[in-house]
Amino acid sequence: MADSNTPKPSSSVKLVLLGEAAVGKSSLVLRFVNNDFQENKEPTIGAAFLTQKCNLPTRTIKFEIWDTAGQERFASLAPMYYRNAQAALVVYDLTKPTSLIKAKHWVAELQRQASPGIVIALVGNKLDLTSDGAGSGGDADGAGAEDSGDARKVTTEEAKTYAEEEGLLFFETSAKTGYNVTEVFTAIANAIPETSLKTARGPGASHTAGRTEEQRVNLNGPRDPNAKEGCAC
Amino acid sequence: MESLSDTLWDVVICGTGLQQSLLALALSRSDKKILHIDPNEFYGGAEAAFSLQDTELWVNRASAGSGGLFKSASIAKPEGTTGLSASRAYSLALAPQLIHARSTLLSQLVSSRAYRQVEFLAVGSFYIFKPPQESSQRPSLARIPSTREEVFSTTAVSAKAKRLLMKFMKFVLDYESSPQLEVWQPFADALLTDLLQQEFKMDAELQTYIVTLTLSLDGKISTKDGLAAIRRHLSSMGVYGPGFAAIYPKWGGLSEIAQVACRAGAVGGAVYMLGTGIKETETAEGEVKIQLTSGDTVKTRMLVRAGDSASDEMGITRLVAVIGSPLNSLFEAVVEGAPRPAVAVIAFPAGSLSTVSGKASEYPVYLSAHSSDTGECPAHQSVLYLTTLSTPDANATLNLALDAFLGTITEGQAPSVLYRLQYEQLAGSQRSQSEASIFTFPAPFLSLSFNDSTLQPVHEAWKKVMGDAAVEADYMTFADREGAVDDDDVYE
Ligand SMILES: Nc1nc2c(ncn2[C@@H]2O[C@H](COP(=O)(O)OP(=O)(O)OP(=O)(O)O)[C@@H](O)[C@H]2O)c(=O)[nH]1
Ligand SMILES: [Mg+2]
Repeated sequence: MADSNTPKPSSSVKLVLLGEAAVGKSSLVLRFVNNDFQENKEPTIGAAFLTQKCNLPTRTIKFEIWDTAGQERFASLAPMYYRNAQAALVVYDLTKPTSLIKAKHWVAELQRQASPGIVIALVGNKLDLTSDGAGSGGDADGAGAEDSGDARKVTTEEAKTYAEEEGLLFFETSAKTGYNVTEVFTAIANAIPETSLKTARGPGASHTAGRTEEQRVNLNGPRDPNAKEGCAC
Repeated sequence: MESLSDTLWDVVICGTGLQQSLLALALSRSDKKILHIDPNEFYGGAEAAFSLQDTELWVNRASAGSGGLFKSASIAKPEGTTGLSASRAYSLALAPQLIHARSTLLSQLVSSRAYRQVEFLAVGSFYIFKPPQESSQRPSLARIPSTREEVFSTTAVSAKAKRLLMKFMKFVLDYESSPQLEVWQPFADALLTDLLQQEFKMDAELQTYIVTLTLSLDGKISTKDGLAAIRRHLSSMGVYGPGFAAIYPKWGGLSEIAQVACRAGAVGGAVYMLGTGIKETETAEGEVKIQLTSGDTVKTRMLVRAGDSASDEMGITRLVAVIGSPLNSLFEAVVEGAPRPAVAVIAFPAGSLSTVSGKASEYPVYLSAHSSDTGECPAHQSVLYLTTLSTPDANATLNLALDAFLGTITEGQAPSVLYRLQYEQLAGSQRSQSEASIFTFPAPFLSLSFNDSTLQPVHEAWKKVMGDAAVEADYMTFADREGAVDDDDVYE
C-alpha cells in the first residue's frame, strides 16, 4: 500500500454475535479469526471472547468479538454483551426458517435496547448447503452431507427485503467454505461511523482538532515503574 | 443438559452488584458449577448504570419501596422541549465512584485480565468552590494543587502556604515511619484539621484544601483516616500517566466493571438469569434448597448474596443532573503529556453554601462532573453527580450547589439543566455475614472513591466456595484466554 509507512489510526470496535443455537456463530468467528472450520463444533457455553484486526485503506479496526451462546438458557446474557457494542452480527441458518424468526427478535431487541448508533448485520449462514451456494462444498471436498441439492428454506429475497426495511447490512455466508465471511466484517468496519470510533475525537472536542490525543488510560502499558511515590517527590 | 433443579450447584450467587460480580470473576476458572441470578431485570445491582428509560423504571420501583437501599427517588425535567437526546444516549451511574490508581481493584483487574475489556479514563482536577466575597462578584473554582510541581507553580496560594503544603506532602508520603509517626500519633483519633492546625500551622483555607482531597463526606475525618486518604491520593499521582491520581471506567464506572466481571463468569460457564430472585431458602445437611421467584427450586452447596438491610448510619442524598454544555474548560489536561480527563471533582466545603433558611451548609457537597467521553451522555452535554450526607435540607442544598456551580461557568451562555434525578442511598451493614452455607456481603460503601475494603469480603466468599481447593496465589490471577489477546495477525 502506498501509505504503509505512515501508521494508520487504529480503533477498537466491540462486536456481538447473536442468533439461535447452531446457526454457525462460532464457526463464522473461527473462520474470520483463524480461517478454520470444524465440522462438529461444540455449542458455546455462556460466551467467548476473541479479537481480530481488519485492515481498511485508511485505518485499522480491531474487532473485540463477543460470541454468545444461542441456547435459550443463556438468553439473559445478551444484554451485557450488546451493551455499548458498536456492531452486532445477527445470524440465522438459511436452511432453518425458525432461525430467521429468532434473528428478527434479536434485531428488535437490539433496536430497542442497544446503543442508538449500533451497526447491525443480518447474516444467513450455511450457504454451502444450497444449490446456488457459491463455493458449495459437495463436489469440491467430497464431504457434503446434503449433496443431493438444495436445503435452502429461506429465500434471499425474503431476508434481503426485511434487512432493507430495517436498515441492516445483509449477507449470505458459508463458514464452511469461507464464502463472504470476511466481507461481512469488512462491511461492518466500513459502516461504523467515524465519530463512534474510540481514537477519533468526538464532535464535542473541537478544541483539540488536528491532534490525535490518546485519552484511554492504559493499565498495563509502559508506564514509569519508578512512579512509586508519584510526581510528588 | 441438566435442568436447573437437577444440578447440585457449587454456588448460587444472588445479585450482580460489584462484589457478587467480582466473585463470579474470581471463580471463572474454577470449574465450579455457578448459578448467577439477579431479581432485577438489569445487571449491576446498587452499582448499575441506566438509560433514561431504565432510570424511570428504577425510580418507580424505588419510590414504591422496592429499591433496596435506595429511596425517595424522583425525576424532574423542564417542561416542553428539553434538549435531551434519545434515552439510550445516556448511561447514568447510581454509584459513580472514582478509583485511585493504587487501588487493589485495579491490580486485580489486571491480574485477572478483565481490564482488557474496560476503557479507563483519567479523573482530572479537584476544585474547591469559592463563594463570592461581595455580592457583585461571581463565585469561582480554585484548583487544588496536588503534586509538588503544581504547588510550586500555582498562583492560587501564598509563598508561605506553598512551603506548608510542601512540608505536609513530604510528611504524608512517609507518615507511617519515624519521626513522622510520633508527630501524628497523639492526634490519631482527633480531627485531621487539629493536626494541620497545631503541627503544620495551616490556616482554615489550607486545611480545607487538604480535607477536600480526602473526599470525606462529613468533612470531619480523623487524622488516622485522613492521612491514609491523602497518601493514597498523592501516591496514586502519576502511576498510570502524568497529571492524574484516579481513573474512571467508561460507560458508568463500577457498573461497567461489574458487567465485565459477569461476562468473564459467563465465559467460564456460569449460568445467568435476570429477573429471578430468591423466595425462600432452607438449609439441611450442608445444602441450601432455594425456591426461586421463577418457580424453580435449586440446590446448592453455598449461597452468596447481597446485603441490603439498612443500618442507622447516615446515608447520602444524590442529585444527578444532565446539563446542556460540554464544560470544556473543566476537562483540560493540566500537565504536558497527560490524557484528557473525563471527570473533574468540585468540592463545596461545609459552610460554603447558604440554604434558603439562611443557614450555612452543614456538610460538604461533592460534585463529580463527567464529560461525554465517559459515554454517559451525548456530545455537547455533561452529567453532574452531586452528593451530600442526608439531612432534611440535603435536596435543597444539592440544588443550591448545582446552581452555584453553574454560576461559575464563564464560557458561553449559562448552561441549562436538562434533567434532574434525585434519590437517597441508605447506609447498610458494613460487615459480611458468614453462616454455614450462606454468605452475605456488606452493603456498598457510600464513599466517592472506591474503598479497597470492598474487596475483602469477595476474597472471603471465594475461599468459602473453593474450600480445600483454594490456592491463595491463584486468586484473581489468570492467563489470557486463547484468542483473546491482540496478536499481530492483521487480516487484510
Ligand atoms: N454446512 C455448514 N455447516 C456449518 C456452517 N457453519 C456452521 N456449521 C455447523 O453447524 C454447527 C453449529 O455451528 P456453531 O458455530 O457451533 O453454531 P453456534 O451458532 O455457535 O451455536 P451455539 O454456540 O450453540 O449458539 C456445527 O456443527 C458447524 O460445523 C456452514 O456455513 N455450513
Ligand atoms: Mg457458538
